[in-house]
Amino acid sequence: MILEAKDLNYYYQDGEERRYILKDTSVSFEKGKFYTILGQSGSGKTTLLSLLSALDSPHSGTVLFNEEDIKKIGYEKFRRNHVGIIFQSYNLIPTFTAVENVLIPMSITENEIPDDAMTVAYNLLDYIGIVKNKADRPVNKLSGGEQQRVAIARALATNVELILADEPTGNLDEEMEQEIINIFKKLAHEHGKCVIVVTHSNEIALQSDQAFLLKKGVLSSHE
Amino acid sequence: MNFIKRGFLSITRKKGKSLILLAVIFILGNLISGAISIQQATGNVETNIKERLGAATTVELDYEALDALSEADWEGFEIQDIGVDLIKQIGELSYVKYYDYSMSTYLGSEAIDSYQGDMEEDYIHHGPSMDYMLKGINYAPVLDFEEQKGKLVDGRVFTQEEVDNGTSVAIISKKLAEKNNLHVGDTFTLANAVYTYDNETGEEELVTSRDVVLEVIGLFESQSIREDAEVDPSRGMFDFMDIEYQNTVYVPNEIVISETEYHWQEYMKADEELAEMMEGEEQSFEYYTPLFVLNSPEDSDAFEEEVIPLLPELYTVVSATDQYDSIAGPVESMANLSKYVLIAAVIATVLIIGLVVLLFLRDRKRELGIYLSLGESRSRVVGQILIEVMVVALIGITLSLFSGNFLAGQISNTMMEADHNTSYEEVMYYSQIQTDVTTADVLDSYEVKLNSSYILVFYGIGLLTILLSTAIPLIYIVRLNPKKILM
Repeated sequence: MILEAKDLNYYYQDGEERRYILKDTSVSFEKGKFYTILGQSGSGKTTLLSLLSALDSPHSGTVLFNEEDIKKIGYEKFRRNHVGIIFQSYNLIPTFTAVENVLIPMSITENEIPDDAMTVAYNLLDYIGIVKNKADRPVNKLSGGEQQRVAIARALATNVELILADEPTGNLDEEMEQEIINIFKKLAHEHGKCVIVVTHSNEIALQSDQAFLLKKGVLSSHE
Repeated sequence: MNFIKRGFLSITRKKGKSLILLAVIFILGNLISGAISIQQATGNVETNIKERLGAATTVELDYEALDALSEADWEGFEIQDIGVDLIKQIGELSYVKYYDYSMSTYLGSEAIDSYQGDMEEDYIHHGPSMDYMLKGINYAPVLDFEEQKGKLVDGRVFTQEEVDNGTSVAIISKKLAEKNNLHVGDTFTLANAVYTYDNETGEEELVTSRDVVLEVIGLFESQSIREDAEVDPSRGMFDFMDIEYQNTVYVPNEIVISETEYHWQEYMKADEELAEMMEGEEQSFEYYTPLFVLNSPEDSDAFEEEVIPLLPELYTVVSATDQYDSIAGPVESMANLSKYVLIAAVIATVLIIGLVVLLFLRDRKRELGIYLSLGESRSRVVGQILIEVMVVALIGITLSLFSGNFLAGQISNTMMEADHNTSYEEVMYYSQIQTDVTTADVLDSYEVKLNSSYILVFYGIGLLTILLSTAIPLIYIVRLNPKKILM
């Protein structure tokens, strides 16, 4: 088990009342698999992803990475060294080029990075489908699909085993969506990564190795 | 692509914002730089002028306090003299380099002619002449020579024996000697004439007179009275001071005491009413004016603090440096103005740069959230922003270092000239502490310079102000929540 959530509770206090987003949620993930978490808007799937990626902390319950509580590892350190996050709106830095965006996490992580980080970044982008002349362009000069590829390359740049994606194809057309899903499948099946994608798309869920359904804060297996 | 490189790249890639920040820092930097330049220049003027005014200090009656006394206060009140013992006690203080106490009186002469300088033709003799100031000394090497007021150009100074015994020897000015063909070793005669004054006719009548024969042992030249001030508005004052000094005759104190005593006793003989009034009163003819030369003008305040408790009631300490306030009007007002400008500029800089940086940071909220989501520590994100602001600040401050200094020089000179033309024409001087330093000298001494201390102070204040103004918006980063920004 690479990642495991145990009895996660997350709520908003509404006066006297607690409004639960997640209630006693437990789930576990393995390396080499492509997972999807399916749910309607407001079902709590983004909240679950933020807890799994240590962007937020639960009110109760634990998230274990390789059986170690991520709180103990330190949220900042966990994000720096163990997880790659992909967002729906790409969240790239527009003043930098594609390759510079990929280089940023490489300078932040404490993981071992090859001396020639620039070559690694170009190779990574090339592998994801961004050729060199595009890699040197500012990211705001790239198309949506290309920007999301750069975001995936950035998530992979620190050589992490865990990739979390929040609606990664939400802003893309169908053709581009499929290309991105193919990349995720390849990362899981050929490179042994654990890829967890939060989505509201049944089509994507159908292509995953395992899908979960989040409804009113309760997570269940989706067949 | 660490935070330092990111910072530098951000400066060059966001040229518009960097230029806006640079312009704001440059403008505010000019204000700070100008204010510091003026502060430094006025500070230098104070040091230079006080150095020129010297470290001479005296103890005398506080005339302001005397004026403030009511009739009731005067009843039974007697002004005490400053005795030799107290002068010696003060003279022994560690701040004192050397000291003297002196008596002086004015004598006339039928035998020699007084020096009148350029005013010779205008010199009209009214009544008895009292042109010669007999200045008693106790400090044998002559304090005025030590303090460069005068310079011995021929002969010698007194011996301690001559001072103690009251030997009839004198040091006179070279100009007086030349006028009367006197040389070292010659003798000349002054007259201690006693006159009575008729209130009704307004005429003076010679009662008696005695000769005071003195041997010339040395000749001096004036050192400090300026002769170059042809267009100076205070020229008349300098002429007067010069003539008085050229007609000064340095003698041992004992001679002055003896002549004062003679004059008083003969006068009493001639004025029966006064003699009757003074009958039974103890007579003292020793009214010394002390002069203490301190080790440094900066010791004035400490010296005053230690001496005041020793003095009899209504006496005060007067220093040459006290005159600084009366002649440095334009510079002082400029110093005050620049102080307020500096304070206002620093506050404005903190507020304006703080606001500009905060607006820029709000614009970059998403970027900062991305760094945090990638696991970057908040301290390094703060570091990146600091680098971006401080690099731009360094350029802006360096540019304003020169322009602010230049502008300060131009503006302050114009303002001081205008100020000087409308006021501050007075020259203050005291009986024992005289100076030829005027407001014009203060203005001449004022110079806005680009020196190392100014550069250091400006960089220090400038960069610290920018750092402070950046620190406030940086709290914004510390409070950022990447989840709320990015998801």
